[in-house]
This record gives sequence, structure tokens and C-alpha cells, in this order.
Amino acid sequence: MAADGGMKPLQNAMKLAKLAIQLDAGNRHKEAYCEYLRSINYISHALLEDAESIEEGEMVAEEVEKMLKLAEQCLERAKSFIGREESLSAISTTTTLAEPSYHSTTATSVAVCPGNVVSPQDPDTESKLNSSPGHRRALSDGGGGLSPFLPPEVFQRLQTIEPLGTRKELTPIEEASRLNQKLKANYEARLARLPPAQARTQKTSLTLSFERQMMENLIIAKARQDALQRKMEERRLRLQEEANRRFAASGSITAEEPEQRVLYTNVLEYEQDHDWPKLWKAKLKKYPDDVTLASGLVSRLLSCPDHPVMKLLKRHQYRVYNRLYPIVSKCLPASPALSIKPSHSTQSLSISGSRRRASESGVGHSLSSNASLNMTCSNEHNSSTVDSGCDGHHTPNRENSFEDLEQFLSQLDWQPCHGDHNMTFEPSHQVDQETLIKDLEMRALKDHLKAIVKDIHNAIDQLLSLCLLSFECLNTANSKDLCLASIEEAFFTPVWGPLLALFRKVHRQRELSFESSMTLYRDASPDAVGVSPELYPQDPAVLRGSYPYESAVQELRLLSRDCCPQKKLDCIVRTLRVICACAEDYGSLQEEDSKTASIGADDLLPILSYVTLRCELPQLVSECAALEEFIHEGYLIGEEGYCLTSMQSALQYVESLHTRGFQLHNSKLT
Amino acid sequence: MAAGGGAGGSNKTYSFKVVLLGEGCVGKTSLVLRYCENKFNDKHITTLQASFLTKKLNITGKRVNLAIWDTAGQERFHALGPIYYRDSNGAILVYDITDEDSFQKVKNWVKELRKMLGNDICLCIVGNKIDLEKERHVSVEESEGYAESVGAKHYHTSAKLNKGIEELFLDLCKRMMDTAQAEERAKGNGASQSTSSRRGVQIVDDEPQAATAAGGCCSSG
Repeated sequence: MAADGGMKPLQNAMKLAKLAIQLDAGNRHKEAYCEYLRSINYISHALLEDAESIEEGEMVAEEVEKMLKLAEQCLERAKSFIGREESLSAISTTTTLAEPSYHSTTATSVAVCPGNVVSPQDPDTESKLNSSPGHRRALSDGGGGLSPFLPPEVFQRLQTIEPLGTRKELTPIEEASRLNQKLKANYEARLARLPPAQARTQKTSLTLSFERQMMENLIIAKARQDALQRKMEERRLRLQEEANRRFAASGSITAEEPEQRVLYTNVLEYEQDHDWPKLWKAKLKKYPDDVTLASGLVSRLLSCPDHPVMKLLKRHQYRVYNRLYPIVSKCLPASPALSIKPSHSTQSLSISGSRRRASESGVGHSLSSNASLNMTCSNEHNSSTVDSGCDGHHTPNRENSFEDLEQFLSQLDWQPCHGDHNMTFEPSHQVDQETLIKDLEMRALKDHLKAIVKDIHNAIDQLLSLCLLSFECLNTANSKDLCLASIEEAFFTPVWGPLLALFRKVHRQRELSFESSMTLYRDASPDAVGVSPELYPQDPAVLRGSYPYESAVQELRLLSRDCCPQKKLDCIVRTLRVICACAEDYGSLQEEDSKTASIGADDLLPILSYVTLRCELPQLVSECAALEEFIHEGYLIGEEGYCLTSMQSALQYVESLHTRGFQLHNSKLT
Repeated sequence: MAAGGGAGGSNKTYSFKVVLLGEGCVGKTSLVLRYCENKFNDKHITTLQASFLTKKLNITGKRVNLAIWDTAGQERFHALGPIYYRDSNGAILVYDITDEDSFQKVKNWVKELRKMLGNDICLCIVGNKIDLEKERHVSVEESEGYAESVGAKHYHTSAKLNKGIEELFLDLCKRMMDTAQAEERAKGNGASQSTSSRRGVQIVDDEPQAATAAGGCCSSG
């Protein structure tokens, strides 16, 4: 997990807060206000996740305290806007009026408030941020209910933060603004130094000359800016033509081509401004067989957030996340400050979702015989009802004294129950209606999942082709695989959490079956699932306190740690290899000369079933279903494909176990 | 080297998936191990032991990569068969000539395979353990007749004596290549190469193989 190098929550929170302060200092009140709220939102999200995680909290007390302090400060700042709330928008417009030239260009707050410039983020943390902001945690505790995810806006912010301070080159107008700031400071200092006697006479002339200088600066800057813009425009046209020529040469015309052409123009533009692509291309041309060069280039590319390939990647990522979020985020407390715009269909989905879960918990009661299952169901029921209560209750009490808050919360506890009862139908129709609704919802969820999977495939295809278009030198079989693997890793790492959550929703019934079998067979010996007695030691002493195939179980448990399909697949392959190695070891322990031949599928599948039972991770079902969608075609036929298929079979078998009863395995043993 | 000349400039490599079906005790594991373990090839044994094996061949100048997927023979895993044999190019269905029951199981699989995969898949029905000829319970006429009736080829093997195994695989490979080539022709050459679907031909760049399976086959046959 540490290797993933995700940023610490505190650092993320500080980053967000810094951005808010910058905006605040730049008099962009409304944006600053929103940004403060976002910081608070993120902090509470991170702390909540930490506090709820089963393993001991990853954060140290000191860090938690700092986070809370930070939240407090953000809250203070946000509160300070409230008095001016109505004028929030007005303020920004009036300041715009007062200093039109400053605010007409975007992102000039740096120029306006040089004193407050936050030190530029070092590129190191920048790139770390790209890898994973904190979703690994959402994943790692995914055993129970759905963990809440960051709202898409915060997600995007964390993915693409481009701090205002990092701009290296200022536009002419920005430069002029800076200059004018200095002039202003000078002017004020001189005014202050004036002896009172001369103040009146000199002030006018000083003011006049100050204003004239400012005006001049701005006019010059404007002219330079226009010239620059014209030049850029010309260059753009030239590059566009180049791109067109390139595409004309390739012949085939597809629907995506115009888009690809625009993207390629961006690449050319980028290459005019940056030297590294040229240098790497030259290097690769010189040593085309050097594999390390290709991988070096790919990682260089991935570390450049402003390269068109990476920009496209972030865009696709955000799009996917945005589509996932409304469906998987139901546990998130609704915050009025966030304006998420769910599409019509997803909204109806999420509303009915809580009802679905309510009905499911009813099913759980009647079907299951074990306590733990009921617990999880009812827990989820609770959480869903609470947040549906939040949905309906957008107006918190004004004076936030503690009693009011308590009262408010107790209201929340009660209300949803009434709400739920109002929703139910006549008892006689209820079952029919609910199954119908459940069916419809499931179908909608499946369609949604299918669409998202397709989107992801398309996104990755587009990314790969743009990548190969930008660096033709990578268009060899080996380098192409490398590119694809790197792109996938960068793409999937931050979105795997919510993606898996959707898969889990769709495969919920399968996971429940798996859980039922798991509780039934948790302590069963390997032969209960049909493992031949020759393939594990009968003498407990040999195992020294562990159970058979424990190392394989440990290996498999690591599966949920990775966030990228290829790595997960590798984990499954390793698990099967460990099983084979274990079987061989156990075989060599047997005294009789019944030479245990290499194990085939007849032996492998029962052992694998046993290992998955012992693993106690119902989400394996969904993980594997997701892997099935994202495994490369080239791997399908090979060892990876075989291992995934075997894992799927073992899981399916385990799911069916609890309905079969114990004796069935005796019917046919090898 | 031989491949470079024989292939006539095409560096195409065929990748085929072959599933191995058969009841628990018919000896399919020994069969496939015998094939992949022979002295030229022992390095091809993967870390998954007999469950999943690969073999590289060179047939009439064309490179072939075989991926041999073993399946579980137990009844309770039968429902899971389809995910194993989807996209297969060939299937080897093994029975034990001393066990009538295992032959009946083969018939069931044939039905299922034909139903799921149609005629695209090359079927081989294999009567193993011919070293136990004296205890034979499945007659040669019956089994060969059945194979012909379902469009499959029939082979007799002995994993113990290493008999008939090379021929079986070589023959299967040739048939799969014919099927793949026919498919290619049907699609129209050239453009179809890059868009070839999940099953069938893949273009892989790997070093030419010197060892020829044909030679091994002749010596053992």
C-alpha cells in the first residue's frame, strides 16, 4: 500500500485549503467559499473513513488533530462569508468593476495579491497526487457496506489540481498587473512619506502620474498580448494542417477521426513548447532495442500532467467517476453546498435504491440462518435510511447550538421510518411490486455497468492510440504492451474503488450466496469441498498451527490491495502457483511411495475452492467479474486467462455450496 | 531458421487453445504431461503443473503456440464447463477403454461442445490406456463409429507407453490450422489480420524455433 505512494489525507486537505486561501486572498469570494466547504467536506470524509476502518486507524492522533484544526479554520473562514452571503456574487462583480483589467483575464489572482502567493507545489507531490488520492482506503475496507466516495468535484480537484501559483510564464497582462502592484505600493509609500505641508499639492500630481503609468503599462501589455495571441493562432493553424496531412496519409477515415485530429494538434502544440518529447524520440531512434528507454519514456509521459495524453486521461477518468458517483455514493451525507447534477435516470435509480435495500434485508431475514449476515443487512438498512433522511432535510437549524443539533439528529432517526412505511403498497401486491421493482432496478444497474465498461474500453483505446500517435517510436509489439499497461494503471488506480462498488451492487446476490457458504464451511477441512486427502497433511503437527494452503490464502487476500486489473490478475496467477507449490510440498511429505503426479484441474479446483472459502472475501466475486471485463484479449488464452477462469469456476462452485448440503461432495471423488 | 525460409516471409504465429475433457481417472493428466514433458520440451512445463500447459511447435514452417487447458472432470464442476471451453479451437475428450461409463461422459461433452461452439471446434476423441487392451470394455468399432458420426477424429493412446500421443496432437494442430486458414480466407486477407477476433490467429513476434515437432513425431511413431 505504501508503495502506491498515495498522498496523506492531511496533505490533500492542506492542498485544498491552500487553494481556498488563494482564492480568498484574490477576492474571489464565492469560489473561495465553495473551496473552503470542499476542504471541510474532504477532511470529514477522510476522518470518517479512518475512524470507521476496522484495522487500527492509519492516521496518528497528531494528524487527526491537525486535520480537525484545519477544518475548524476553514469553517471560520466560510462563516465569515455568511454575513456577506447575499453579496457574495455582488462582491466579485464590484471588484471586477473596480479593477476591470485585472479580473477580465482568468486566474490572475496571483498578480493581484503577490503578498499572498502560496509557494508553488513541488512537482514531486504533484505526480504523487496523480497516482491515488485516497481511494485505496475506500477499497481496503470494502468488506462491509459501501464506503462513501469523494464527490466528483473534489475527485477532479485532487486529480488535476493545477495550482494558480505554478504558472511559470505570465501573460503580458499578468506581468503588467504585477508591475502595477509594485507601482501602487511605491505610490502609497511615497504618499505616506510626504510631509503634511506638501501633501495636498503633491498628492494630486503623484496620483496623476501613478494612474498614467498604470494605464500605459496596461495598454502596452494589451498590445503585446494581442500580438502573442495572433502568433499562437497562426501556429495553431499551421499545426492543424500538419495534423491533417498526417491523418490524410494514414488513409482510413473513422467517426472518431476529427476528435483525434484535434488531440493530435494539441500534441504538436505541446511539442513546440517542450523539448523532452523530441529528446526522447531521438534517443529511441538511436537505440530502438533498448527496452528501458521505452519504459522511461512512458513514465516520463505519465509524469507530465499537461501533456495532451495525460489531460485526456484525466478527462476520461473524471467522466467515468462522474457517472459512477451518483450510483455508488449513497452513504455520503448530502451537502447542500455541492451542486452535483445527476442525470434524470440515475436520480431515480438512487432514490429507489434505498427501497431496494430495505426489501433485500427482508429477504435476508427469511433466508439466512446466520447472525452475521443479518447484521450486515440491517446495518446497511440503517445507513440507507439515515441518508435518505438527510436527502429530505435540507434546512438545518440556524443557530447551531448543541441541543438543536441533537434534536435535529433525533428527527433524522425517526423520520425515514415513516417515510418508508408511506411508500409501501397494499400487502397483497407488495411482494409482486417489489420483485418487479427490484428486477427493473437490477436491469438498469446492469445496463449502466455495461455502458460504463464500454466507456472505459473506448477511453483506453483512444488513450493508447493518441499515445502511439504522439510517439510513433513506441509502436512496436513490446512497447505497445508497456504503454497499455502504464495507461491502464494510471487510469484505473483512482477509479477502481467506485467501479468495484458498482460491480458489487450488480453482483450482490452472488456475494450473499458466497457469504452463506463461507459461514457454513468456514472451519471445514479441505476434504469437505472435495480435496483429495493425499493433497494435504493429515497430521496437524506438520502444519505447525496453521491450516493447509494458508500461504495461498494469504496471497489471494492481497488481491484487493491493488487497484489495477493487470496487477490483480497477477495476484490470482501467483495464488494458483502457490497452490501448486504447496501441493507438491505436501506430496513430498507423504511417506508411501504413491508418487503424487503433477496436479491437474481435477485437484486444482477443489483446492482453489477451499482457498477462496478460507479467504473470507465475498467481494472476490465482484473483483473477478470486473477482471473478466478488463483482461486483455491477448492474455485470455494464456496462463492469466486460465487462472482467472479457474478462479471464476471455484467461486461459482462455492456460491452453490450452501444449497447443496454437506454430503454431496462424496458423490464423486477422484 | 528453418521457419524463416519455410514460412515464406510471413512471421505469423498461430495461437490455439485446446481444452482437455475427461472423467477423473481416465489419465488425461498423464497424457498431456507425457506430451509436454518429452525430452525436447521439459522446459515448457509451467508453474501450474498439469493444469495449464503450453507447447511451441513448428509445423510445415508455421509456428504454433498451443495452450492446453485441463478441466475438472468431477460432476459437481460440470456446470462450470462453458467458461473453460469458450473460444477454444480444439477439444480433446479422453475416456478409459476399460471404463464404459467414461465413454458415456465423452458423449455428453460432445453434445455440449457442439451446442455451444458449433462446428468451429476440432474434436478429438481419445481412448486411453491401450496398454490394458485385455480389459477393454469399449469396443473399437463402437467408439470409432461414434466419432465419425459426430465429425470427430478418434485416436488410441497409452500415456504409460507413450503411444499415439504425438500423432494425436500433431494431427489436431494441422486441423486447427486448416480451420483457421479457412476462416481467414472467408474473411478476406489483409485487413482481417489486425481485427481478428478473440479466437484464432494472433500475430506474435518471437524468436524462430529450431526444434520441429514433425521430427519428434516421426521418430516416436
